[in-house]
Amino acid sequence: MARGLGDVLHYFLPEAEQGAARAPDAGPPARVDTAALPIVALPVAERDVVRAALAWNLTVEIARLGASASLLAPRNGDGGLLWPEPGRGPVGAELVLSPALDLDALYRDAADVAVQRAAEPGEGGVVLACVPPHWLRSRGENASLLRWALLFATPDARDLLETYALAKFLLRRRPDAVVGVTIHGVRRIAEAERAFQRLAGVATRHLGRAPRSYGLLVDDLHVYRAIVARRPIGLEHPQAPAAKALRDVARLVMADAQLQHRV
Amino acid sequence: MRRALASGAERLRVVAEDVLGAETRIDQVCVGPGGETLLVLHADAGRDLELVARGLAQRAWVEARLADWLQLAPDLGLRPEAGVGVLLLCPVFSVEARAAAASAGGRMRLATCHFEHEGSELRAWIAPVENDAPRPLPASRSAEPVAAFRTGLSDADLGVTDEEKSALESAAPREFRLPVRSD
Repeated sequence: MARGLGDVLHYFLPEAEQGAARAPDAGPPARVDTAALPIVALPVAERDVVRAALAWNLTVEIARLGASASLLAPRNGDGGLLWPEPGRGPVGAELVLSPALDLDALYRDAADVAVQRAAEPGEGGVVLACVPPHWLRSRGENASLLRWALLFATPDARDLLETYALAKFLLRRRPDAVVGVTIHGVRRIAEAERAFQRLAGVATRHLGRAPRSYGLLVDDLHVYRAIVARRPIGLEHPQAPAAKALRDVARLVMADAQLQHRV
Repeated sequence: MRRALASGAERLRVVAEDVLGAETRIDQVCVGPGGETLLVLHADAGRDLELVARGLAQRAWVEARLADWLQLAPDLGLRPEAGVGVLLLCPVFSVEARAAAASAGGRMRLATCHFEHEGSELRAWIAPVENDAPRPLPASRSAEPVAAFRTGLSDADLGVTDEEKSALESAAPREFRLPVRSD
């Protein structure tokens, strides 16, 4: 039966490719696409001092590249033991503590920061948002914050399994999500590459998608010293392998952030 | 047709017409509500198979240029990640043409189109072609390439010497224990 175009429009519009289908709530609000910095969600559990420290150190490294870098975290977390006071810190890196108690509220606060920082002159940047992993499992909430997530994993089999499970959950929640993985706690590149390929291979076979590689972070005494001293390793020991690796991850994140911002 | 596209569907914006694409012209370029790009191509009866081929070629041509179009006209509302679809309009589609379109996947849709006078106005009537031609089986998941590991570092950046590297790469010595007999 012939119909007007308006009646059949939905039939003709492109569908997302299989495996990259958009979730019902896919796509952040327009302001994030047009006038906000990209937001990267970093799942960091309570008492996970290593990931909390890596998150802040990565923020500082992104700022050292000349970009706007803000780390947003729930106020009731315990990252405060490692991080400086909220506000602008070294090289302009910013720490923002949010009163959010759930994913929705955290996203709103992250979007506010992303909009404010995008309005400032500069070379772009990102907002890194620390998300307690158990918040991800709350059903019925907006998953806008999960559009781009970065997971830190060690080559340890148990840790890779947990990271895989998290990646699987994120991709189910948002099939269009970019799930990135940085392998940390390694001594050599080959070690990180093997761990990543194991994870990517399993994800490709079982989920039809592989995570995106965001380099590696090395197991270096300087990392732990910097954690204890609450001093960013990139400033304390800029020539240390750990600082070089952080800078490499920061570059990868920024390269993708600029692509997203342009689109 | 332009009026039909523009007024018949509030959510579809015609952003360009008669665009020179891959050697031939694209009749309409439209943007959907989610930033999807929809290319509309028309053909007369009997040229449906050629239309499918044109659709494939134009879609590939546009996909490669969407980022450039966005730079030239960022306000178009196009979102490359939302994909490029093709709507092929022809009075009738043969079995062959429908099979060819089906093999192109869900991003190529067919519709028959004819025009009728309504008073002094010529109105386009469009009916989707339910394409029941068999589609190719999806590629095996195991054949999908595994994402590449990315780093700009070398082992030298990590302060690992060749000696340390070879020591780490060699198998760790194992401890062998002989079974102890209790008797």
